[in-house]
Amino acid sequence: METAQPILQVDHVSKVFAPQLTPVLKGLTFKQEPGQFVAVVGPSGCGKTTLLRCIAALAQPDEGAVLHRGQQFDDPPPWLSIVFQDYTRSLFPWLSVRKNVAFGLRDLTKNDRDERVQAALCAVNLEHAADLYPWQLSGGMQQRCALARAIVVQPKLLLLDEPFASVDAQTRIDLQDMVMDICQTMSLSTLLVTHDIDEAVFMADKVVVLSARPTHVVEEIAIDLPRPRDQLATKETPEFLHLRHRVYTLVRQQAQKAAGGNVTEKV
Amino acid sequence: MKLAPRLANAMKGAVGVALAVACWEIVRAGGIVDPRDLPSFASIVRSVAIDLAGGELAIAFLTTFSSWAPGLLIATVGGVIVGAALAMLPRLELATRPLIEFLRPIPSVALIPVALLILGIGLPMQLFMVVFASIWPVLFSTKAGVEGVDPRFLETGRVLHLSKTARLLRIILPNALPSIATGLRTAAAIALAVAITVEMLTGRAGIGFYIENVRLNGLITEMWAAILMTGVLGYLINMLFMAVERMALPWSLENRDR
Amino acid sequence: MTVRRAHSIPLLWQIGIIAGLLAIWQWAALIHPAPYLPRVENIVAGYVRLWHGALLWSAIVPSMYRLGVAFLIAVLLGSTFGITLGSLRGLDPWVRPVLEYLRFIPAVAILPASLLLFGATDKMRIFVIAFGSTFPVLLAAIDGARRVEPMLIDVARVIRLTIAQRLVRVVLPAALPSIFAGIRIALSIALVMMVISELIAADDGLGFYILRNQRLFLTENVYAGVLAIGTIGLALTLALLTFEKRVLAWHHGWRGLVDPKGV
Repeated sequence: METAQPILQVDHVSKVFAPQLTPVLKGLTFKQEPGQFVAVVGPSGCGKTTLLRCIAALAQPDEGAVLHRGQQFDDPPPWLSIVFQDYTRSLFPWLSVRKNVAFGLRDLTKNDRDERVQAALCAVNLEHAADLYPWQLSGGMQQRCALARAIVVQPKLLLLDEPFASVDAQTRIDLQDMVMDICQTMSLSTLLVTHDIDEAVFMADKVVVLSARPTHVVEEIAIDLPRPRDQLATKETPEFLHLRHRVYTLVRQQAQKAAGGNVTEKV
Repeated sequence: MKLAPRLANAMKGAVGVALAVACWEIVRAGGIVDPRDLPSFASIVRSVAIDLAGGELAIAFLTTFSSWAPGLLIATVGGVIVGAALAMLPRLELATRPLIEFLRPIPSVALIPVALLILGIGLPMQLFMVVFASIWPVLFSTKAGVEGVDPRFLETGRVLHLSKTARLLRIILPNALPSIATGLRTAAAIALAVAITVEMLTGRAGIGFYIENVRLNGLITEMWAAILMTGVLGYLINMLFMAVERMALPWSLENRDR
Repeated sequence: MTVRRAHSIPLLWQIGIIAGLLAIWQWAALIHPAPYLPRVENIVAGYVRLWHGALLWSAIVPSMYRLGVAFLIAVLLGSTFGITLGSLRGLDPWVRPVLEYLRFIPAVAILPASLLLFGATDKMRIFVIAFGSTFPVLLAAIDGARRVEPMLIDVARVIRLTIAQRLVRVVLPAALPSIFAGIRIALSIALVMMVISELIAADDGLGFYILRNQRLFLTENVYAGVLAIGTIGLALTLALLTFEKRVLAWHHGWRGLVDPKGV
């Protein structure tokens, strides 16, 4: 049962790597309602990956808290899944696609496990490649494999760390549609971290714009475009163009601030 | 690396060494072995100082060194020449492959009795063994290094109209040097081990004979002192080679991230 | 170079060169009989003698037993400790200096001490062989475990594996290629230490057989023994490579893509 409680609450999170450096994150705050698709955008080098690691409880913030359904976690909560950006490094090269997907499933009978894996592979159209090794697949197929591994555990919250950054433009569009579709059918709460403003506006219900370092939230923009969204039709509506314009202006301001100001390199 | 973490690491390392010494003393005190066979660590350290100062241990090390160094030198020169030739002349490589594949798996020390038969006890026999054992890593690392030269470099050389010799000396060899250096370090360790083995087996003067001799005379502390110092020697040799490598080949991939 | 040439002509060359060398050896042995130059057929006869009957049990089997037990110990100890040390990075600075020191003690130098502690027993020989061959496995395992892609560890954490599960299901397979490289080095060291330990203090085994026949000037047996040791080394290396190829099939294909120059 979904309660009214937000699935994710990022509450004044700060993170410092070394005392003498500019903090990476400073007082970063936003929240995500169940079933919501949130996209996080910001100028490059603003610490998006650090934020994602804090949200996933792979790293702990120095100040503030990350609450999952109102609770704090030292390790990733069981209902959370991630798709990392770099699929060549996040898939196990010694396991076949099927075994990669099954990797996270435990405490299930073999039958149940096979069924779940098969369903996940179907959802990402990879049934035919189940017995290949991930490195025998194209980039887009590898990323779909990573996606299947993330959804096979039937998560409530799916984190996507620039999942489409390393594939070509056509594949990227196909993957966007596939992810939107999956999130809708599984009624997932999805948090997408991206540097692609089009993608953020097109996919999300809410876009969170981050500042340059020290990173905080500049603005949260609700995207009330109707669903289902279409790559051509939606992107031609004046509402889409208007929202895209707003987000783009904000991000560019931050990027210019970063270029002018004193930027510390990403650690 | 900054100074503070370095100091912290040195401290941790020192604690680790202290723990290892403590383990030694525990094994000694625990009665697992006869305490006479395992003297206290302090007494061994004292013995190291006395034996080194007294000259006996130092002379033994120098004697071993005097067959180790020329042996390694011969092995290096021979290994580099043969390795490079095998890499650059594919026909030669194919023709000699069975011979090399036949000789390679034979553990060098198994040939000690054969070398004894042919060469008798003496410097030539010890040199032969050291060379035979330590030539392999040099040979194979040279071969791999030469074969691994990026063809684009060779093409660059041809575009620049370098002669064959110039290409060998100015492109192929520098490219193979990091690999050769790694092989050389392995060879140095093997050469030391084989020199010691020959001394132990044939009674030729040197650290191997020294260790065996003090054991037979019941000088247990001296034996442990010599063994532990052999480790120090091996460590120092490796440090020396690494330092030279870092100075001579600062561009080598292995040295870049240091 | 065409494929066909690489197969046919060099093979003739290879056979020719081997045959030539054997012929020269035989010719030299015939016109210049010397103790160190036994005739080829005598060496072959000695070699065949080694592989059956009493000699099999007094020379080959004891050697193989010591080698096998010590090698297993080395592989198990080396990979277990190596993976643990490599993945618990905080531990490294504490143990690194001790390890770096121990690995440079030539295993031969330990032999007299081992003889003192264990006497001229199999325990002593197994100890020396294992001492020498553990380090390459250990260091390779540490190295392999340290190089595990950090993102794979993150994946394992998101899937909420325990530390032990992470070691077995993520770190071990990822470090396996490196471990195998270490095992191959360990095998050759183990062979060397096996021979030395039998040359110095044994009353059976191949090392002892070679040494005794050398003292009796039965040189054909010396050469036969050396050949037998080489055969064992070669057979074990081939077995190891076959096993490795099976276990690491994914690695060879993977590396082939990442780095076309091969593994």
